[in-house]
Amino acid sequence: MESFDLFSLRHTFESQGIMISFNGLFSHSVIEQLGEAVKKHLQSDDAPKDRIKEVFSVFVEQAQNLKNYTTRDDTELPEDKSSHSGTLIIARNNDNYIVSSGNVVRNEDEQLLRERLDPLITADKDALKKMYKKRLREPINENEGAGLGFISMARKATKPLHYSIRRYDDTNSFFTIEVII
Amino acid sequence: MERLEIEQSKSTPFVRFDPGSGMLEIGGESYPENSHEFFSPVIEWIEQYLSEEEKSLSFIVTLTYMNTSSTKYMIDILDRLEQAHDKGREISIEWYCDGDNEREMDTVEELREDFEMPFEVKTREVE
Repeated sequence: MESFDLFSLRHTFESQGIMISFNGLFSHSVIEQLGEAVKKHLQSDDAPKDRIKEVFSVFVEQAQNLKNYTTRDDTELPEDKSSHSGTLIIARNNDNYIVSSGNVVRNEDEQLLRERLDPLITADKDALKKMYKKRLREPINENEGAGLGFISMARKATKPLHYSIRRYDDTNSFFTIEVII
Repeated sequence: MERLEIEQSKSTPFVRFDPGSGMLEIGGESYPENSHEFFSPVIEWIEQYLSEEEKSLSFIVTLTYMNTSSTKYMIDILDRLEQAHDKGREISIEWYCDGDNEREMDTVEELREDFEMPFEVKTREVE
C-alpha cells in the first residue's frame, strides 16, 4: 500500500488557511466535539467574541444540515459510505473566516436547493430579515430541511453566500456551500 | 404540579420550572440533535401549568446560543405565553444577553418586536 501523503495534505491546508477540517460521518457527538474545538481554536486565534459566535453558529447550521441530509431515512443516496459522509472546513483568510461544507445530494434536490439559495445571494439585509422572520413564523415542520439555516447563514455572512452543485452521474451531485464571516 | 428540571448538556440547555413561584428558566447552549424531542416536554409542561394553575408565569432566558431550529421552538413558547397574556394572564419575559455582543442584543430585540407582553432584554454578567 502506498503511504499517505500527509506532506501534500498539510500543504493544501496551510496554503488555503484551513484551520479545522472534518471529513466523515457527521453524528451529533461529532458536531458537539467539533463545535467545542471551533470555539477554542478561534479564542486562541484572538478572534473577537461576537465573531466567534457567528462562526460557531454558521458551523452548527452547516454541520446539522450535513447530518440531517446524509442520515435521512428516505434518502436514496447510494449505499457507499462516502455518500453519507460530509466534508467541512473552517479557514481563515486575512480578516475573514470561512465556513464551507459539501456533501452528496440527489439530483432531484438540485432545483429546491437553487430555489432556496439563489434569492439569498441577491437579497439585501432588510430583505433577509423579512425572509427570516417569515420562515420563523411558518408552522413547525420536523423535516423542513435547510431553509431557515440558509437564511441565518446569509444574515451572518459579510459577503454573499457562494454555492456549487457538481453533477456526478444521473442520480447524484456534489453540493458545496461557502460562507464568509 | 411537580417541578420540571432538565440538566444542561453540551448541546441542550438547562430548563427549570418551579410551579410554586411560576418561574421558568432556560439557559446554556441550544442546538439539540432533535429540537422537537427536546422542546416538546417543555411545551407540554407550560401548557399544563397555564391550564391547571392561575398564577403568573415569568420566563427567564439566559441562553448563550440557540440554533435556528431551537429559535423556532422558542418562538412557539413565546407565542403560547403571548396568547395567555392576551387572555389576561400575568406573564413576563426577561431575556439576558451578553452586553458586549451587539449582534446578540439585536437578535433578541428582533424577536421582541413581535410581542405585546412585558418583554425585557437585559444584560447578563459575562465571566
